[in-house]
Amino acid sequence: MNDTLKRTHLYDWHAKHGDVIPFAGWEMPVRYTDIREEHMSVRNSVGLFDTSHMSRFLVKGQEAQMFLQTLTSNNVSTLKVNGGQYTICLNERGGTHDDLMLYRVAEDEYIWITNASNGPKIHNHLLKHSPNFEVDVIDKSREIVMIAVQGPKALHLINKITDRAISDYGRFSCYRLKLAGYDCYLCRTGYTGEDGVEILVLDTPFNDEGKQKAISFWEELLREGEEFGVKPCGLGSRDSTRLEAGLVLYGHELDEETSPIEARIPYAVKFKVEPHYIGYDVVKHHKKEGGIRKTRIGLVMIDRGIPREHYPVLFNNKVIGKVSSGGLSPILSKGIALAYVKPDSVIIGDTVEIDIKGRMRKAGVTKWPFYDPEVYGGSRTQ
Amino acid sequence: MSDTEVKDDRQYSKDHEWIKVEGDLVVVGITDFAQNSLHEITFVEISEVGTSLEANGECGLVESMKASSDIFSPVGGEIVEVNSELEDAPEIVNEDPYGKGWMFKLKPSNLDADLAGLMNAAAYKEFIESL
Repeated sequence: MNDTLKRTHLYDWHAKHGDVIPFAGWEMPVRYTDIREEHMSVRNSVGLFDTSHMSRFLVKGQEAQMFLQTLTSNNVSTLKVNGGQYTICLNERGGTHDDLMLYRVAEDEYIWITNASNGPKIHNHLLKHSPNFEVDVIDKSREIVMIAVQGPKALHLINKITDRAISDYGRFSCYRLKLAGYDCYLCRTGYTGEDGVEILVLDTPFNDEGKQKAISFWEELLREGEEFGVKPCGLGSRDSTRLEAGLVLYGHELDEETSPIEARIPYAVKFKVEPHYIGYDVVKHHKKEGGIRKTRIGLVMIDRGIPREHYPVLFNNKVIGKVSSGGLSPILSKGIALAYVKPDSVIIGDTVEIDIKGRMRKAGVTKWPFYDPEVYGGSRTQ
Repeated sequence: MSDTEVKDDRQYSKDHEWIKVEGDLVVVGITDFAQNSLHEITFVEISEVGTSLEANGECGLVESMKASSDIFSPVGGEIVEVNSELEDAPEIVNEDPYGKGWMFKLKPSNLDADLAGLMNAAAYKEFIESL
């Protein structure tokens, strides 16, 4: 294996139990057994993901809030201590530098969690702007292990390893507590469409001791979750669950040339903020005056076939855009896709064609999530 | 790769397809190595019966949970039968790549010349070990 690839604390466990592949500069497990089985464990019970390849920055100081508002599009002033928000870091053109989770863990202290592929870029971006503020940016990526526990049984599992009443902790909350004796931040967030948590295991330096600690905690979660049918899940099911939920992935639905308004994630973009963030004017123009160049839609196959990234999308025999992510939905047993098309070219219910390597296949324009939210996902009827 | 099965009774391409001559026809499928690399095959589509192909011509695709791969015909000819079982049960290719998971049959147009470009089992074993 290429020795320039990075490994997480849990690498030895992954290599022993799963299929490890290169991903965004990391050696990560794509699957342990079967992507569909892992996918269904997240939809029906609970799955564990090692997400330690993501970058984690601690931002602290008197002007932390102002600094973060300069760099992110959600309203940082509404973020309370022990709260979290999904937000976007924009470039001057209103394109997306990265999408991220921001947690406020103390009065003047925030944790910024960013995509693995964008870690170095975002670190440089933070360091470039931080000298203008009373703020410190500390890279904690190698000192904190991150594990996502996702699915309708996720909170049941967590309840077994803490004496705190975690069901009182709302969505997007982030509390410091002991889980099975480990000092953690417990964040009620995720990337699968399901209810669940993302756990930051503190004091896990990247050495033998820290790695052993991470593996012990991971195995503890597997043991405690056994009664619910917990499964370790790889990047394959991480991608298939997020796609089925209609969640964006950087490098596919988001990039430096795509605004969050075009990506249809307006809830992460606020305008009554002070100071104005980088890219503010452009996204405001996109939002208020319809200056968008493209828009994101969901597609579900009517004909047989699996849509994939870059496949052209046609309507009335004219190319209107292309697929940004596609694959098989294990819930629907059909091909599904996210695509970018010209604004106002189609509406929900329209039938388009996808050019699958020269074969024209029908697909319906639909909303996301692709599953029935009454039956699957975090908002399902309990 | 010692756990990868290679059968002695057929020829192999560098794209990990196998062919087996049966009377006037040639049966084509993908190898155990290929199905194992793809894992969890979810969809197979082969060009229609009657399609004429050059050797190494693209003639369909295999989808797995992770990726899409083209299928090429190792020999030229006309497709005379497509394995319709795979339409509803593509996982057969994972379970039995050399048997029930065959993909199509064709009437070869230039078999002797095309065979010269293929590997026997020993050469294919060596090829996948070198990957």
